[in-house]
Amino acid sequence: MNPARSARSVEGTARQQRRRRGSLDALEIVVIAWRSIRSNVLRSALTTLGVVIGVATVVALTAAGSGVNASVTERITSLGSNLLTISGGGGDRSSRVRGAPRDTITLGDAEAIRALDDPRIAGIAPQVQTSLSVKYGTNTSYAQVVGTWADFEKVRNASVAQGSFFTTADDTSARRVAVLGHQVAQDLFGSSERAVGQSILINNLGFDVLGVLPDKGDSGFFNPNSQILVPLETFVRRLHRSSPTGDPTLNSVYVQGANAKDLAALQDDLTTLLANRHGIPDPASYDFEIRNQADQLATLNSVTGTLTLFLGSIAGISLLVGGIGIMNIMLVSVTERTREIGVRKALGAKPRDILAQFLLEATMLSVGGGILGIAAGVGLGRVAGHALSVAPRVMPQSILIAFGFAAAVGIFFGFYPAQRAARLDPVESLRYE
Amino acid sequence: MSADVVTLEGVRKAYRLADQAFWALKGVSFSVRRGEMLALMGPSGSGKTTLMNILGLLDSPTEGRYLLAGEDVSGLSEFDRAVVRNETIGFVFQAFHLLPRLTSLENVETPLTYGGYGRRARRARALEMLERVGLADKADSVPATLSGGQRQRVAVARALATNPALLLADEPTGNLDTRTGNEILALFHELNAEGATIVVVTHEAEIAAQTSRTIRVRDGLLEADERHAPAAGARPPDRVGEVRKHEPRA
Ligand SMILES: Nc1ncnc2c1ncn2[C@@H]1O[C@H](COP(=O)(O)OP(=O)(O)OP(=O)(O)O)[C@@H](O)[C@H]1O
Ligand SMILES: [Mg+2]
Repeated sequence: MNPARSARSVEGTARQQRRRRGSLDALEIVVIAWRSIRSNVLRSALTTLGVVIGVATVVALTAAGSGVNASVTERITSLGSNLLTISGGGGDRSSRVRGAPRDTITLGDAEAIRALDDPRIAGIAPQVQTSLSVKYGTNTSYAQVVGTWADFEKVRNASVAQGSFFTTADDTSARRVAVLGHQVAQDLFGSSERAVGQSILINNLGFDVLGVLPDKGDSGFFNPNSQILVPLETFVRRLHRSSPTGDPTLNSVYVQGANAKDLAALQDDLTTLLANRHGIPDPASYDFEIRNQADQLATLNSVTGTLTLFLGSIAGISLLVGGIGIMNIMLVSVTERTREIGVRKALGAKPRDILAQFLLEATMLSVGGGILGIAAGVGLGRVAGHALSVAPRVMPQSILIAFGFAAAVGIFFGFYPAQRAARLDPVESLRYE
Repeated sequence: MSADVVTLEGVRKAYRLADQAFWALKGVSFSVRRGEMLALMGPSGSGKTTLMNILGLLDSPTEGRYLLAGEDVSGLSEFDRAVVRNETIGFVFQAFHLLPRLTSLENVETPLTYGGYGRRARRARALEMLERVGLADKADSVPATLSGGQRQRVAVARALATNPALLLADEPTGNLDTRTGNEILALFHELNAEGATIVVVTHEAEIAAQTSRTIRVRDGLLEADERHAPAAGARPPDRVGEVRKHEPRA
């Protein structure tokens, strides 16, 4: 028997056993870390404050941002979906800078589009408008009077709340009938119910009220509640507006696509049609413009997205500052607890146990800050939403990102102090005063 | 296997000072047998604490060989040294070194926690050890509310928790008055009588006289290694039991 070899093999098994035994339950480290956080509540709270503020700002800003986005999107789509908007103006930029969109779209254009009888078109609503006085008895008001087709109801999502919409027959016979916006009915009659069936004066001409639109909300620059809808033919014949050629000009034509995926192709075809009708082959000098609602929404999304990202990164910076605060306190804490670290090592704590303890402490601080921050952020988002009068939308992904970021900040900034603690020399730490 | 718990062969320890090395230990060789109680004496600065730190694997010798319980521990990794400290060594310090935020029970549990014992086993063993040192009723007290003697007894209970092969005590009575110091010493004698191997650093000849062996260190060298019968002052186990009966005083 070779004594050297047997000694070595004994040593070998001893070492293997050690590796197996020397593992400290993860839960125990959590308990140790939690106790030291709890032992100095005020300091721990102040340490997490940076992270709380950072996470709260991320959550609140993204909630308010996406709330604004959702509300604007909803307002746009509430006035009709899958819309193409044709208006005067267009490619000739210099002319647009000088004045308002030119009245280059005519009723003839709208009728030409209708004559296509294209299955991709769900409805067409030409629109011509002017501001006129309206009267009922002694009540006088001004309203945006809009001449349009019966399709308006469907195309612009303008189903009546009371009464009924006018029909194509009303338009063909140029009947003097009107559908009132919510606000107009309120101003003249005090309530929408009383308006239906009454007769009002528009520009001193009598009109029968067929229906009243529901409250559509005020989008700021354009208030659908203060408009009056009348048949286009009636508007053209009775309420002035004519072009030099005798073909009535329009403010715009709304074309609703049957579905979203054909919208771009339809847009191209209508562009070709109008270019031919207007005799302008060069796209750069088109005197009209066709806007796609999808493009508008995309623009809106990219604007609010950029804004949210920008605000989010500012909040991210405050999260970073919070992380540095945690690192600072952890370094102080390691120095303060040098003796404790020495004692723990003397009792058998392995470097990785000490590392885990301090790393976990930092992570728990930042994650705790993250949780508080999410709660505060949801609250702040409500306040901000209230101020902007939009419903804040707390995004689950922004919560996840903020939370993950907070945890990462704790691990990242906690690592250096924890490693310093783990590497402390036990003899030196025990002597530390 | 050998009956020696500790074997030091030509152990030297250098501290690196500004420009040269300072040799705190200059070649120390001795063995400690299982069940022995040994007093380490010597003037201040002679290297006693340095030696204890090496024995306890808190520090490593610059030169020489150290066999602990038959195993050469000179080349162990930091991880393995921690495991050996945990399982084989129990420390009692002059300054007690209890963890201030933990209760007595939790302090005694700490080495068991690092040893990977389960919650229940840990608690049971820690309570057993507190009972052993006569402090079962102080299990839930934090160190700040305990007297010096009580603190040191908690520290002894903690040192014994993993049932180590070697108990190292560096001036365990240095911060205690004579009476409480004697109580701690009585506890050591009792543990030694139950089979514990103990190395105790002391400045008091009276304490050394109670042990069966005294090693004297001077300037980093062994000056003397005397085996002797415990002096008359040594408390026999029955007197120790008597002392424990009066304890704890609240
Ligand atoms: N970390 C260190 N760096 C430099 N010199 C040291 C260090 N630790 C100890 N020494 C020196 O080593 C020598 C032995 O120190 P040690 O602490 O072992 O003495 P001791 O015998 O325990 O003394 P005391 O009885 O006062 O506790 C002393 O001269 C001391 O100054
Ligand atoms: Mg000393």
